[in-house]
Amino acid sequence: MQDAAQGLVTAVPRARPGPTRRRSERSLIRGAVAGSEVDLELLFRRHWPRAYRVAFLIVHDHAAAEDVAQEAFLAAIRRLDRFDRRRPFGPWLGAIVANRAIDWLRSTRARREVDDPGPERAGRPDPPSGRYSEEVLEALGSLSPEHRAVVVMRFVLEYTPGEIARLLELPRGTVNSRLRRGLDALQTRLWEAERR
Amino acid sequence: MNAKQALAGFRAPDEHGAEDRAWEVVRSAYQERIPVERRPSYRRRAGVFAAGLVLAGAVALSPAGATVGRLITRALGVQHATPALFSLPAPGRVLVAGPGGTWTVAANGSARRLGPWTQASWSPRGLYVAVARGDELAAVDPHGNLQWTLARRDVRDPRWYPPTGYRVAYLSGTELREVAGDGTGDHLLAPRVAPIAPAWRPAHPYQLAYATPGGGVVVRDADTGQTLWSAHVGAPISGLLWSSDGQRLLAVSGTGLTAYSGAGAVTSRVAVARATPPVAVALAPDGRTLAVVLGGSASQVLIENLDHPRTARRVLAGAGLGRAAWSPDGKWLLVSWPAANQWVFIHARGAARIMAASRIAQQLGGGHRFPRLEGWCCDPGGSPG
Repeated sequence: MQDAAQGLVTAVPRARPGPTRRRSERSLIRGAVAGSEVDLELLFRRHWPRAYRVAFLIVHDHAAAEDVAQEAFLAAIRRLDRFDRRRPFGPWLGAIVANRAIDWLRSTRARREVDDPGPERAGRPDPPSGRYSEEVLEALGSLSPEHRAVVVMRFVLEYTPGEIARLLELPRGTVNSRLRRGLDALQTRLWEAERR
Repeated sequence: MNAKQALAGFRAPDEHGAEDRAWEVVRSAYQERIPVERRPSYRRRAGVFAAGLVLAGAVALSPAGATVGRLITRALGVQHATPALFSLPAPGRVLVAGPGGTWTVAANGSARRLGPWTQASWSPRGLYVAVARGDELAAVDPHGNLQWTLARRDVRDPRWYPPTGYRVAYLSGTELREVAGDGTGDHLLAPRVAPIAPAWRPAHPYQLAYATPGGGVVVRDADTGQTLWSAHVGAPISGLLWSSDGQRLLAVSGTGLTAYSGAGAVTSRVAVARATPPVAVALAPDGRTLAVVLGGSASQVLIENLDHPRTARRVLAGAGLGRAAWSPDGKWLLVSWPAANQWVFIHARGAARIMAASRIAQQLGGGHRFPRLEGWCCDPGGSPG
């Protein structure tokens, strides 16, 4: 059994310190694949904020968003050695985050149909901190999760409508109409906030 | 300010805290990662072979040739897992408990919360669930309706006597106590025991095995109070498990597995590496197929057929594996994987198959705590699993 345990231990090459200048993403991915924890951390810290924001904007639950973004990173790392390094990492990660966030919403919704509401939350999370962030959140909250995802993918992840249609398996026209409706709701809410 | 600028300037709550927490998880998963989809090296296969021999040593009844079963390794959870638990691959209902309460999951995937109980145990035929939290022991039906309740200090690990369910043994503080299945006649069995779930001996009413704080095993007649036999394992015990015929007791400790005959004689003993202590064992309904989950730095799941010793096969490997439970039909082994937030279903007979479901903590954790697997039982009135 001890032998088996030893057989499972995978040697991780010692991490090397990163240089002071900003490293290219391709170099970080190469380093992470080779076993450099330093490179992995640089990659993680570079992409976490947007991944977490995207997840939060779609699921509207900070704990769930943290889980979604975290799982997306884990999934991305798992596939890192097969990642095409000529492509940018951020949009690839963003697609994983968005898909997982939508999966989370669907599974939560399916569960509500057969289950009780679940336990009460012990306390409210901190509100979002950026200027107009609460208004953004309120406006997105008035949209269905699918509308929300489309708006976030377009204006935070900067996917084209065609890419969104392909990723979410929606007709292009549906994507465009959801974008229009989402933007209108958002703009209305922001005007109201500015008038206050 | 237009909508696009507002979205660009959006900041989610606690971004830095979430980042630091997530980094710790990602880093630890990265450190423990195992290359996937690579052909196992000769050395690794030799390691599995050795594991098979050693595990077989714990339960071996006769010498036999050794074979190595199929090898499945996964790094950070099973890939292509479903995004949620939509159904079970076999009939019956799974019971889980934890800070998010007690839940049952039916074969069609529907989940039902039985209440805020943090510990739970199926009755033998799945008609009731013994539940506990804080200073309260209770029995509820599968819909969560309270049948009876009993106030005792620091209650944990209730266990029904199989196959009738006429008795429930449980721990209260450092005491081992017993109550009738209808909640009456509560009384003390032993004043000072280890915090390990007691184990009723099947087919031998009403003999009960429990662990003592110093690493001892005691088997006692619950009616007369007479100690039938006792033994010393030499290390704190983490689990006790009877074979379905009551002829074999397996004591699990951080340093190994010790098998006793029904009369208390050691039939085999094996030491395991401190780095990979056994964290859970589960015996299939056939009484012959044993699953062992090894924890630590190289956690893995081994399955052994007790009738064909030295055929242990490793069916899953990955960091942070948890408990295991067999389906009532004995065809599937469910392994909880808290570190990956997954449940993994391993088909243990015939064609090799593995299925997994993600986001178990969110579905059944009542929030985001991974629930403890407490058993996979029969449909109401059926045979226990």
